[in-house]
Amino acid sequence: MAHQPCAIVGIGQTQHKSRRWDVSLGGLVREAAQRALDDAEMTWKDIDAVVVGKAPDLFEGVMKPELYLSDALGATGKPMFRVHTAGSVGGTTGIVAAHHVEVGRHKRVLAVGYQKQSEGNAQFALGSGKGASIGAGGAFAPYMRSYIDRSGAPMDIGPMVALKDRLNAHKNPYAHLKIQDISLEKVKASPMMWDPVRFLESCPSSDGACAVIFTDKEGGEAAAKAGRKPAWILGSAVRSEPSSFPGRDPVRPVGAADCANDVYKQAGIKNPRTDIDCAELYVPFSWYEPMWLEAHLIAGEGEGWKMVESGETALGGAFPVNMSGGVLSSNPIGASGLLRFAEAAMQVRGTAGEHQVENAKVALAQAYGASAQYFAMWAVSNSLDPFGS
Amino acid sequence: MGAFMTALADQRFIGIRSGDRVIVPPREWDPDTGEELALDFVDVGPAGTVETWCWVDKPTSQHPLDHAFAWALVKLDGADTSIMHAVDAGSIDAMSTGMRVAPRWKTERHGHITDLDAFIPGETPETNDGPSLDEPAAMMDYNATITYKTPVPTNLVRYEQATGEGRLLGLKCPGCGRLYTQGRGFCPIDSVELLPEHEIDLPETGVITNYTIITPTPYPGQTETEPFARVHVLLDGAEIVLGYQGMVDTPNEMVHVGLRVAAVWASPAERNENDPMSNFVGWVPTGQPDDTTPHLVNRLN
Amino acid sequence: MADPHQNDIAIIGWSISPMVRNIAYTEARMLLDVVTGAVNDAGITRDDVEFTCAGSCDYVAGQAFSFVQNIDAVGAWPPKRDSHVEMDGAWALYEAWLRLQMGDIDVAVAMGSGRSSTSDPELLYSMEMDPYYLAPLGADAVSFAALQARSLIDAGKVTERQMAEIAVRTRKAGKDSPYSQVTGDFDADELLKADYVRSPLRKHDLPPITDGACAVVIATAAKARELCENPIWITGFAHYTESHYVGMRDLRTSNSTTLAAKAAGIEDGAPIEVAEIQSAFTHEEPLLVEALGLGSGVSINPSGGPLAANPVMATGLVRISEAASQIRDKGKHRTLGHSTSGPCLQQNLVCVLEGNS
Repeated sequence: MAHQPCAIVGIGQTQHKSRRWDVSLGGLVREAAQRALDDAEMTWKDIDAVVVGKAPDLFEGVMKPELYLSDALGATGKPMFRVHTAGSVGGTTGIVAAHHVEVGRHKRVLAVGYQKQSEGNAQFALGSGKGASIGAGGAFAPYMRSYIDRSGAPMDIGPMVALKDRLNAHKNPYAHLKIQDISLEKVKASPMMWDPVRFLESCPSSDGACAVIFTDKEGGEAAAKAGRKPAWILGSAVRSEPSSFPGRDPVRPVGAADCANDVYKQAGIKNPRTDIDCAELYVPFSWYEPMWLEAHLIAGEGEGWKMVESGETALGGAFPVNMSGGVLSSNPIGASGLLRFAEAAMQVRGTAGEHQVENAKVALAQAYGASAQYFAMWAVSNSLDPFGS
Repeated sequence: MGAFMTALADQRFIGIRSGDRVIVPPREWDPDTGEELALDFVDVGPAGTVETWCWVDKPTSQHPLDHAFAWALVKLDGADTSIMHAVDAGSIDAMSTGMRVAPRWKTERHGHITDLDAFIPGETPETNDGPSLDEPAAMMDYNATITYKTPVPTNLVRYEQATGEGRLLGLKCPGCGRLYTQGRGFCPIDSVELLPEHEIDLPETGVITNYTIITPTPYPGQTETEPFARVHVLLDGAEIVLGYQGMVDTPNEMVHVGLRVAAVWASPAERNENDPMSNFVGWVPTGQPDDTTPHLVNRLN
Repeated sequence: MADPHQNDIAIIGWSISPMVRNIAYTEARMLLDVVTGAVNDAGITRDDVEFTCAGSCDYVAGQAFSFVQNIDAVGAWPPKRDSHVEMDGAWALYEAWLRLQMGDIDVAVAMGSGRSSTSDPELLYSMEMDPYYLAPLGADAVSFAALQARSLIDAGKVTERQMAEIAVRTRKAGKDSPYSQVTGDFDADELLKADYVRSPLRKHDLPPITDGACAVVIATAAKARELCENPIWITGFAHYTESHYVGMRDLRTSNSTTLAAKAAGIEDGAPIEVAEIQSAFTHEEPLLVEALGLGSGVSINPSGGPLAANPVMATGLVRISEAASQIRDKGKHRTLGHSTSGPCLQQNLVCVLEGNS
């Protein structure tokens, strides 16, 4: 039983903002899903199954919202599935949706990730209503401090990543945060939130949704013929590891390397740094860019920050990262992972507009969740065989 | 939905056309085709027929009425689907499938499903002079409270007891030998239960390996107003790091990697028998020279 | 002769936790026990498990990201391929079933867990309803069930007496099961004397509040045959959903159940002998039996079903396990497990199991 090829033929996302109070919960997901359908030149009736992913329902105050959303997502009379793997959920949603096609279960599957955090209070939800919540930033700050020490990275690296992503956001019509006159000085002068991470080095809380339509080889080839280049999945993987136990390294997690190696093997990627043209990595706090470059074996140990410093990860660099502005610019938690996957697919389809990497052939996407313990990754290409086997 | 809510505030019902049907309450999308519905509204009601019902003897705190009432699916005149709401029938004997009901409106209306106070038996609506909305409804509030009663697992009870007695209680996995604390129930590596026979008192001194200073943000339930430190402490002579610990009477500027610290227990005056966990207050510098082990900051676990 | 099941995935082991009103364990600890039990039952270790998928609900647990602690129970070291659904474990099994069909791995574990005891279901489940039209009314699960019960009674599809008899039958059957919570020999006449809780439902028509968990091991065909004398083949597996708003639906039928039954191929094989269905309310039984197209000879919920124990988020997976047990332990050949979610059976799943040919 080998699995079948899977193509991404439709992508849609919402205008990400701190408050999308112009739409209902249903309206939000619908906006993304309708755009994906339009992109794929399909209608609601063409979809065979729907996979919804989002992070804690406590963020909106609606338990198991996929039940209420069945009409909004045209799922009535179809199978509907709800995934939740914390921050990595968007990634897992895409992967589970793809599986439906890859095992030949359904021909056309819609994946939607969303979060409408403004409906509730994210800090309240993260802290489960108790005082002195340290938030995600507080939880990860020690990991970033550890990275800075073991890599010897200069302190400017974090702010440089923030600057790069915030500049990139101006080239993404959907991005939430578009800070005017952003500069390294402005980042470094912003308030310290979770020492050593400053306000402008961290992600916003956004309302937003992302939708991706998957289909089989036949569907992908038909889209290609019609001039709508698909993105093909070269490989995908997930890994989880326990939150904490003596000896665990949350800075360079084993799960991160295992997940990456699994994807690279499936995709025929032998040298990630050269075989991959660009990447969308889940970077909610600036330092996670060099950390993930190393943890996912793109840069050698202690070398990730050098890729940032040299400009290699900038939009015009040799290994662009987070061309869309990334999670630092838009963070609807349940959608952020799927946005990474979608943006990678957009790159190889050539539909990334102003933030397009020229001639992107192979793109990598990654999402992570909880205490840096859930990982979801995929590699996509505009060719089923980009390395010519 | 905004149009429906605005109409409610106006003491009216509307439905939306979807193909041959009039759907009440209006959906934004056709459930059969998935397509967005045109804003083609139709006045329905005010009276309707009960399609099915049930009786609520003892309303919950969330229910719309505070005395016994019926839930019903009411097909308003002109609609093809039913709306769910309360019927204030007075007694279960007044309820029957097929009976006619009419709306009783609240005097204060906000553009909310509860602007309809309840349905009442009969054909005649109970309207009032309360004002409609100045502007169409665009937002509604929904607040909910759920109380959870979670029993404390044995290991956590024992941990709390030990804390109340002034001991940091740890558990040593019989398989791999790793140390755990805070009443952890089992070793996630060996998947074995941690039992009282595996208990071990942990050292009460250690060294800060890592830390962060957190600037508090406001949210419901927040207790902090000033930046506060959270430190990772590697215990002396034990391979266990306690994460995100609080400091006691220590300026944030003093917190650094290598600072030797000791556990602080509540003074007799501060002790609260009803809250054994409060007996452990946090960590305080011992005044000893720093631990200068290189790269101590990487001890996160 | 080619193996007729060579492309099928099989259940090779499972474990069901004790079903109690209120367990002192954490959810993670419950899962630890059932995962250990399931891998032991399958004759493997945690190291052999290549994919895990859990079903649980933050709101039931009372905490955002509650499933994160649960990862400790699966033995995710070295790191494992793992996922989680905010749905009953039956859907976690569906995801695991899909995953194994990718062909690169052979063994998976699906889990479901929930501690309903920690909150008041009357207040909690209203929160899974439409946030604009239903949740603000505090419309709770039992009220929805009662509305559906009355439409069935009005349509002559069931009587209150028949509902009482279902309660009697299932709770008596539950006596034989170690995984039941509410069991006994009840008398329909006596039960019918009780006051209504939500007319037309009485206390006996409702499921108990249960803490519980379940884990199931599945494997690809070659692996299953290697590990197990008599794998239990999943020959059909499907789920469908309907419109959420109950006023939009005909509550006397369950279309999504019928669709799922058809897609799972209920008709394509020997007759179903036993059906374990997630009928948490008595009136749901005849409705689901009809929607599944089952004849009168089919044994329904010999385990006692959800009326005997209802560990929300695991109930469906328990049904599938019990259906598997009927094949392995009770000599049956073709059975099914059913699970549901949402008000008035909004979403339904059917899993068809077969013993060796």
